[in-house]
Amino acid sequence: MLTQSQYPDYKFVCRINHIKTFHAAIKSICFSDFGTFLISEDGMRITVDQAKSIQATVYMVPSFFEEFYVQDLQSFGIKVNVLAECLSLYGLADCGVKLLYKGDGAPLMILLDPHDDEDLSTECAIKTMNVDEPMEYELDVNSSTLNTLFIRGPDLSNIFHELDKAAEEFEFTISPRSPHFKITTLGVIQSESSVEVAKTSDMMLMFNCQSTTVARYKSQQIRMTNKSLQVATKVAIKTDSSGLLELHFMLQAENQEDIYVQFFVTPLLDIE
Amino acid sequence: MKFRALMQDPLYMREFQSIIATLAKLAKDCLMILEDQKIHFIVNEEHSSTASPLVWTSIASQDYFPEYLCEPARAEHGYIVLQMSAAHLSRSLAVLRMNNVNNCKMKLQRIQFPCISVIASVVSATSCEPREVVHDVPATIVPFKEWPPYLVPRVPSSQLVLNIPSLRLMRSLIEKLKNISPSLVFHASSAGELNLVAESEMATITTRFKRLLQSILVADQNGPQEASCSVDTRKASAFFGALQLPNEELIIGIDPDHSIHLQMDIRENVVLHSILPAVSV
Repeated sequence: MLTQSQYPDYKFVCRINHIKTFHAAIKSICFSDFGTFLISEDGMRITVDQAKSIQATVYMVPSFFEEFYVQDLQSFGIKVNVLAECLSLYGLADCGVKLLYKGDGAPLMILLDPHDDEDLSTECAIKTMNVDEPMEYELDVNSSTLNTLFIRGPDLSNIFHELDKAAEEFEFTISPRSPHFKITTLGVIQSESSVEVAKTSDMMLMFNCQSTTVARYKSQQIRMTNKSLQVATKVAIKTDSSGLLELHFMLQAENQEDIYVQFFVTPLLDIE
Repeated sequence: MKFRALMQDPLYMREFQSIIATLAKLAKDCLMILEDQKIHFIVNEEHSSTASPLVWTSIASQDYFPEYLCEPARAEHGYIVLQMSAAHLSRSLAVLRMNNVNNCKMKLQRIQFPCISVIASVVSATSCEPREVVHDVPATIVPFKEWPPYLVPRVPSSQLVLNIPSLRLMRSLIEKLKNISPSLVFHASSAGELNLVAESEMATITTRFKRLLQSILVADQNGPQEASCSVDTRKASAFFGALQLPNEELIIGIDPDHSIHLQMDIRENVVLHSILPAVSV
């Protein structure tokens, strides 16, 4: 970890040796224009939300970075698609990336160094803005209705892939009795399809459920998590009687800590 | 008026095909200017979408074509100037990509209309007799009095010329920068640094190429120098995106605030040029 003296002018500095997973994580939350960076000694969070009904956060712990230094708590807003664009400048070529921030009003500097050409480097300065802190969603951990299950990423991705693309709404049922986990799609003309996963299934890594929860979500919003799902190795699905859905994607990076992408999706209210 | 050329070397045939394919990616029409020792192809800005830059290529006939004949209508004019569809010409040469081509002839002919006939002699796997693949590409003969706008462009005099050893990353980079900013600044110094700067409302992106060699021809003893020029990113991207050649090296010449000259030496006496005009930011 760095000492302050090495970067006296900077309030935040971090370095990642391999850009791939970080880029994939940022790309997967580009459904809205603006994102909020929140950096503290606990790590870096980048949050994006849309219409106060879906929120996504990319979260990295300090040990994920090769270097990580932050002074106090730093927060600023940024256009996430511009960030994603900058990270993709070298396409598939692997490169190291460094983020630097001087504090209020200063741009976020991104330095890209391709590993296979040391005579080449790119420096991006992205404007930052002051933004309100993103809304905080939370599931009550002590609630008796909290249901948690862990599923293997690629398997869940396959399930979503097979679901009716034209469906309007998705219904998630988690129940201690069979069917343990059920996704039902509801189409415009009352067409329905469903997939059930038993808790004994190989793809189910953990199943923790005391009481049945049923909630419906806009399929469009669930689909926004697709890009994260495609690159996730593990997915945690959490919900409680309020219906608020938390999807927690774990993205495995080579020789690095995992990157987490967390989605909160609010339920539709018209449950009979 | 007569023109005839024969190619035999499979390497040259494939290369010729790649050159024409590159031009076909840039514009609908191309000009073919034939002279005693050289063939030139030009795709003009005016003849294409506004996104394509002016690109031309000159091929010395001596090594490329073991048989080469060019007789203009009048000897004193020295040239034959033809205009044709670049896509048609490229398609007629597509067969040269295969390994089983014996030779390829190009001929200026009048069937019902003037055309360049591309005749490739191909060996089939199943037969020992070669077969001929013939394409007649319609061409318009440009009369002498209309030549002035169609002359082979001159290489602009650049203040600073740098060699880029590898295009691989530059190509994808410029392609990406196209989405960020409409104009791209090339800033070079005689110390061998080239900076590409793309600026948008939200971001400024500077890419630095270090330790580039300066071209000996222009290398001046006037001490350290700098030159910069801003060009249309889409034009730059169109040039790099169109390249179908395996060559990785490129020479970039900067005429400050006027133009950028890109030159690719495909081999000795076979050169591809492009000029990106300056835009004001």
